[in-house]
Amino acid sequence: MDYTFHWRPVFRKLPDLLEAGLVTMEVAVLAMLVGVVLGLALAIIRMSGLKSITWFAVGWIELARNTPALLQLFFFGFGLGAFGIHLSPFLIVLFGLSFNNAGYLAETFRGGFNAVPPTQVKAARSLGMTPTQAYTRIVIPQVMRVVYHPMTNQMVWSVLMSSLAMLVGYRELAGETQFLASKTYRIFEFFLVTAVIYYVMVKLILAGSRLLSWRLFRY
Amino acid sequence: MDSVSVFTDFQFSDLGFLAEAAGRTLLISVLAISIGTVLGCVFGWVLSATRLAGDATLGVILDIFRSVPLIIQLILFYNFFPIIGFNVSPFVAGTIVLIFYTSALVAAVARGGIDAVSINLRRASRSLGMTYWQDLRYVVWPVGLRAVLPSWAGVALGVLKDSALVSVLGYVELLRASQILITRTQEPFLILTVVGAFYFALSFPISRITARLERRWQYD
Amino acid sequence: MRFLKNATVVSLAAALLFYGAMQNASADKLDDVIEAGKVRCGVVLDFPPIGYRDAKNEPAGFDVEYCKDLAKAMDVDFELIPVTWAERLPVIVNNRADVVFGGTSDTLERAKTVGFTIPYAIYYHQAVVGKDSGIETFDDLKGKRVAAAVGTVPEIEFLKYAEQWDTNDLYQGYQSENEVFLAVAQGKVDAGITTNTAVKPIAEKYDNIIAGPRMPWTTDFTSVVGPRKDFGWLNYLNLFVTHQVRSGRYQELWDQFVGGEAPELRIPGVFY
Repeated sequence: MDYTFHWRPVFRKLPDLLEAGLVTMEVAVLAMLVGVVLGLALAIIRMSGLKSITWFAVGWIELARNTPALLQLFFFGFGLGAFGIHLSPFLIVLFGLSFNNAGYLAETFRGGFNAVPPTQVKAARSLGMTPTQAYTRIVIPQVMRVVYHPMTNQMVWSVLMSSLAMLVGYRELAGETQFLASKTYRIFEFFLVTAVIYYVMVKLILAGSRLLSWRLFRY
Repeated sequence: MDSVSVFTDFQFSDLGFLAEAAGRTLLISVLAISIGTVLGCVFGWVLSATRLAGDATLGVILDIFRSVPLIIQLILFYNFFPIIGFNVSPFVAGTIVLIFYTSALVAAVARGGIDAVSINLRRASRSLGMTYWQDLRYVVWPVGLRAVLPSWAGVALGVLKDSALVSVLGYVELLRASQILITRTQEPFLILTVVGAFYFALSFPISRITARLERRWQYD
Repeated sequence: MRFLKNATVVSLAAALLFYGAMQNASADKLDDVIEAGKVRCGVVLDFPPIGYRDAKNEPAGFDVEYCKDLAKAMDVDFELIPVTWAERLPVIVNNRADVVFGGTSDTLERAKTVGFTIPYAIYYHQAVVGKDSGIETFDDLKGKRVAAAVGTVPEIEFLKYAEQWDTNDLYQGYQSENEVFLAVAQGKVDAGITTNTAVKPIAEKYDNIIAGPRMPWTTDFTSVVGPRKDFGWLNYLNLFVTHQVRSGRYQELWDQFVGGEAPELRIPGVFY
């Protein structure tokens, strides 16, 4: 073995890496929020059965699910750039991840709504509930139960996927790591520390989600 | 003398270049999915059979593959192999990482499948005189498979698309080929569209078949 | 008796180990390459016209020809390993390539990590700018959106100025030089910093890009890169560089790919 490990440059830059970790969380959470709103909209459009707009939702969902996320990011970058639409690297990442999240979440939500039989709404209505009551008290809580776990997974994906940002020039955790590694040429050392940071972030999200689920779903 | 022409336009023959690269995407995906699935089923069985002990050892290792971005895994391993004295090509490094990544995802799915088979059913099969392996082969496998096939297909589709990341190691699969062509032709939109269509053509049939299977099994 | 047996085993093992160590010590990179029958060259194919891909998507350019010439001189085969700018040194550190022909500036910072030959080509850094950007001098870059490739000298040098001007957030690093050109062409940035040799082909390719100002930092002496400790190998590469000049091959290739008189590979005022 001819390789000498140099850890000092990495530990000196640890504060920068941790700060970049926060940037990663920021963009991943934002992309998740936008993705939930868009995904919900897409699911409702798709279930509405209105031919004129269903194709749009179906097209979005299938494109998001059947092409690599990296290709989607490139599209929001130089692809749109060809038409003179210029997004900052942050927006490229945010839009790209949101586009992808929305496609997957739309299917999750659709599955969630399908899991609640429509007869339950009728039953609730015949018990004297208003439509709003039927939805907020009967349907939504059940849907939440079904989609909660897939949504947690999607949040983890959002964080993992955000690392692609390094390839479109955005300096979140992976991008910052690449930038620093390219200055010191200590690729392995830098990326190993970054891998640990990602691991911890993912574990924190999962732990947070579990805590939240105890509060949300107890009887 | 005039300088040589370093930018050349998109030609018909470039579609062949892309098709060849799509073949490489398919190759690396098929390798990763097939070997990764076999490994993942074994891992899943070990996890399910050993419970706590397995979770604390194998489970933790597999979990790392699921909790670190694939692109970071690829960069780490590609740079790690030469450090320990193995010089591997981008193809080999990429395939190995993708196999372990796939197996980690499949292990979770397989474990879920085994655990989905009710313990009463398994007790019943054993009390009918089946051996442990017969129970695994003739009861757990068919019942569990049905429960998790859609999730497995999801993993397979994911790996097909994630294979695009092997491009960062320099392996000329579909995505890398698109970058090469963009550099040469300076036509990002056209080429990204064509490459998107290639990926779609590879991935869409699988997701359709899965959706149909899922629907059929739901109602019987 | 047993003692004797043990002693024999131990001394045999020691002899084997010593032999192994001798083998290791005597074979250097030069021997390795000759023995392997193949030289592995890292090249940057995102550096027209020094490194690019031709209409058949095959590697071409000044650096690619240098690799072929080296293989020919050594009577071995060659393998081209396309690398990004940021990968040029790691590829040597990790022994994935034996040598890098990639327009690598011989900075002291880099020399901590890899070994450099004498300069094999000399460039200077120059901007390509949008036609309507109004950038004429280097100072005009202040307050403009500027791009360069990650891990290059222009990035490091420009960021020093950007720091002073407090315009760090207007700088954008890209994976490849090509993305820098695309960004200028599409209007994502006002200027991209590249090497003088690339300016002409880029300005010819795009109607909306013109040659911009020359960068104020020093001339870019670029060297062939090899492993830091392999002096025999670096020596051989040094000799290869001088032979390329003496045989006229240097001028020939420069004329073919860049055009015109090749820059003299001499550093005035100092013995190199």
